[in-house]
Amino acid sequence: MPLDAVAQFAPAVVEFPFREGYVSSIIYVSLYVSLIAVTLSTLFSVPVALVMGFTDFPGKQFVQSVINTGMGFPSVVVGLLVLFAVSNQGPLGTFDLIFTKEAMIISQFVLATPPITAISLAALTGVNANVRDAAHVLGGTRIDVALVVIKEARYGIATAILAGFGRAISEVGSVLIVGGNITSADGISKTRTLTTAIQLEARQGRYETAMVLGAVLVTLVLTINAVVVRLGSDEVSGR
Amino acid sequence: MIDLSRVSKAYDEEPVVEDVSLSVEPGEVVAIIGPSGVGKTTLLRMLSLSLEPDAGTVELDGDAVWDADEERRLALRRRVGMVFQEASLFDATVARNVEYGLRVRRGWDDRLRDGLRSVLSSNGTPDAVEEALDVVGLDDKLRQEADSLSGGEAQRVSFARALAYEPEFLLLDEPTSDLDPRNTGLIEEAISEARDRGLGVVVATHDMHQAERIADRVGVLLGDGVTEIGPTETIFEHPTDERTRKFISGELVY
Repeated sequence: MPLDAVAQFAPAVVEFPFREGYVSSIIYVSLYVSLIAVTLSTLFSVPVALVMGFTDFPGKQFVQSVINTGMGFPSVVVGLLVLFAVSNQGPLGTFDLIFTKEAMIISQFVLATPPITAISLAALTGVNANVRDAAHVLGGTRIDVALVVIKEARYGIATAILAGFGRAISEVGSVLIVGGNITSADGISKTRTLTTAIQLEARQGRYETAMVLGAVLVTLVLTINAVVVRLGSDEVSGR
Repeated sequence: MIDLSRVSKAYDEEPVVEDVSLSVEPGEVVAIIGPSGVGKTTLLRMLSLSLEPDAGTVELDGDAVWDADEERRLALRRRVGMVFQEASLFDATVARNVEYGLRVRRGWDDRLRDGLRSVLSSNGTPDAVEEALDVVGLDDKLRQEADSLSGGEAQRVSFARALAYEPEFLLLDEPTSDLDPRNTGLIEEAISEARDRGLGVVVATHDMHQAERIADRVGVLLGDGVTEIGPTETIFEHPTDERTRKFISGELVY
């Protein structure tokens, strides 16, 4: 892999015992799993937050408490439940997802959805009611009004997505359980993420390489945060 | 003609509007005067066809609005515009705000195409947007962000936004209550301009002098229905209802 920047530069600092392509493959798996999980979760959470915020339905209080509980739900338990779901006896057993990226996406989706829904809900219900009414009386349909509300709440929703992404990419317990921390015979990651790789390095006493991978993870999270914040401010000046 | 017939509305079993009948013709300005909390805003919302009364009927040119299906009702309420008392502009430029009513009336394929085009290059502003801003004297503020406007300018942009898609009726809820005399004057001019274009305009106001200046007809709302409605001069000079007379002379204090 030509993109393995860390493997090129890091040996100057610490001895780097990884094969060519190893680090970039775990970065790839981390990003692939987290970005897809967060994208799916956003597409699910924002409409749910809209329905929660602006309609009444039986069981709303219950859904609300599920979301609130979900924010603090232990990730290893989520991992166990997803492991059960994708195992041969589980409801998703026929798809043969155990120890795959797809199983990891499912568990990260479950983990990211409560914070994204809760923070989006706060942002959407914080939109001035006059603005909603204006969209309606100016001839907007229900969808038009919802789009206006989403647009007004866009910074809060961006925060929600970043919170969900942060939870997903920094997660160890559940991805270890459902993904299995697997590399292929040639040393390329199949289901190993930055977090599970760090955990493995630290357990084997290779603290320096664990620190380097930790730095890569932090840089990745900071970069994605900066890009999202930047996109937000560009949109303001660009309109 | 919008025709409210014996409408009532209650919130949490507290009656706000009770048994009110009122109609508005194209090309006239009707002022609704009355003390705060008497249901002027609720009445306007029913006139805007977006609030269903608990009792009574609402018709637009003989079409019973609340018996119609949703699609038909959307078509009916799109013939009406409304401006709220409080700021309600979207967090976008003045042009995008004023264009909103036009945009939602277009098909989704058109809107998507426009959206893509605006990403690639800056879009031209529709003539109707510039014309509507011209009516309120703000055609030079097109590119400005809405949140950078003063309160008076924001209210004038709200007015232009309700005018841009050429509704047949325009409802204004205390449009000048927080404004300085200059902005008040500009809004009143815009109201006259709207009437001259053939719009039926309803203005809810607690400013009796304003009602006298701009309205062709005045309705006095003092609770328990419109107490009296008639030509402006008649209401102010020769009110027939005793409560109206007392309210206008300032004897009836709320």
